[in-house]
Amino acid sequence: MASPLEHELKQLIIETLELEDTTPEDIDPDEPLFVEGLGLDSIDALELGLALQKTYGIQLEAESEEARRHFASLRSLAALVEARRNA
Amino acid sequence: MTATHWANIQERGTLAGMRAMVWIRRHLGRLPFRLVLGPVVLYYYLSHPLPRRASREYLARIWPRHAGHPPRHPRLLGLRHFMAFGQALMDKVDAWSGLPPAVCIAPEDHARLDTAIRGGRGGLILVSHLGNLEICSALGQRRPDFHVTQLMHTRNSRKFNRLLARSTGRQGPDIVEVSDISPATAMQLAARIQAGGFVVIAADRVPLGERGRIRRLPFLGRPAPFPEGPFRLAALLRCPVYTLSCLREGSAYRIAFSAFDDTTRLGRKAREAWYLEAMQRYVDWLAAQCRQHPLQWFNFFPFWHAHD
Repeated sequence: MASPLEHELKQLIIETLELEDTTPEDIDPDEPLFVEGLGLDSIDALELGLALQKTYGIQLEAESEEARRHFASLRSLAALVEARRNA
Repeated sequence: MTATHWANIQERGTLAGMRAMVWIRRHLGRLPFRLVLGPVVLYYYLSHPLPRRASREYLARIWPRHAGHPPRHPRLLGLRHFMAFGQALMDKVDAWSGLPPAVCIAPEDHARLDTAIRGGRGGLILVSHLGNLEICSALGQRRPDFHVTQLMHTRNSRKFNRLLARSTGRQGPDIVEVSDISPATAMQLAARIQAGGFVVIAADRVPLGERGRIRRLPFLGRPAPFPEGPFRLAALLRCPVYTLSCLREGSAYRIAFSAFDDTTRLGRKAREAWYLEAMQRYVDWLAAQCRQHPLQWFNFFPFWHAHD
């Protein structure tokens, strides 16, 4: 069962990346978002990062290895938003 | 990647030489500096066949298309090209030492710049390696509300900027390296634009290691590789896009600032087509300036074959 935040993030991904043929149910929270899974590329990652910043006011550190971890799956993304949005 | 990629052209001993030149300019003044500059440029010209050949190829392309008179001493053109570069370096040192060369800006350009700053929406500014953009930092000092972040590809210019900052005690513009734009970098840039700031990026050099995001576009009569990156970034940041140049005209620099586009409402599906159209527009803008100021082209590497 997806948490409300996970559902919200699925909507955000679909809207931001204009994935018209994808429904929230198609996104497996544990599957990799990039390359495999949804098959997003690095430009999509940038776009998604900007959407997260706009919606939740999240700022990432310049460490790109860390960012890669956060963007690994929907679940890790949700964990990031949960941890940072009220910070 | 060929060995002649611009980022691979190592300049051994150049830093020490530049340090000496900065010292001479700052402590002995303009005339001794000028006296030393001539032989230095001549030495550089004679001892660096690669930039010399690159210059020759560029000059052979530009000259038949140049609007002005044919050069009086075509054989000396290459050397004059290098001297123009030496002059540009000297002007840079001056600008950073708080002795900026005279700068003028036409009323139209000034009005456009003013509107862009006051509009508060910030933007992305496309620039090139034609002319001497560092002179614009003087502009930034005159307008404290003009916040600029400069994107740079290599350590080469960074080294030079650090050297200047150290010897002049003045801080240059904010510099962000773009060898790899991560989501964190993109957020940082977006935040600066959000705050009404401007992000400056040169769109005439393909970064090292870039594969696949290169487009070959007709430039001065022959296709040359140009990077797609700056245009992808422009689409991503969804903001106004401008062009900025700073070219020497006689003893003063002329700053030109124009609106280029606005990506705020550019949908993702329209991007591919926009890249091509916008890049060609940028290349044409660049070519027009080369025709007007042929000797201020400071891309001293085999521009047309950099990615063969």
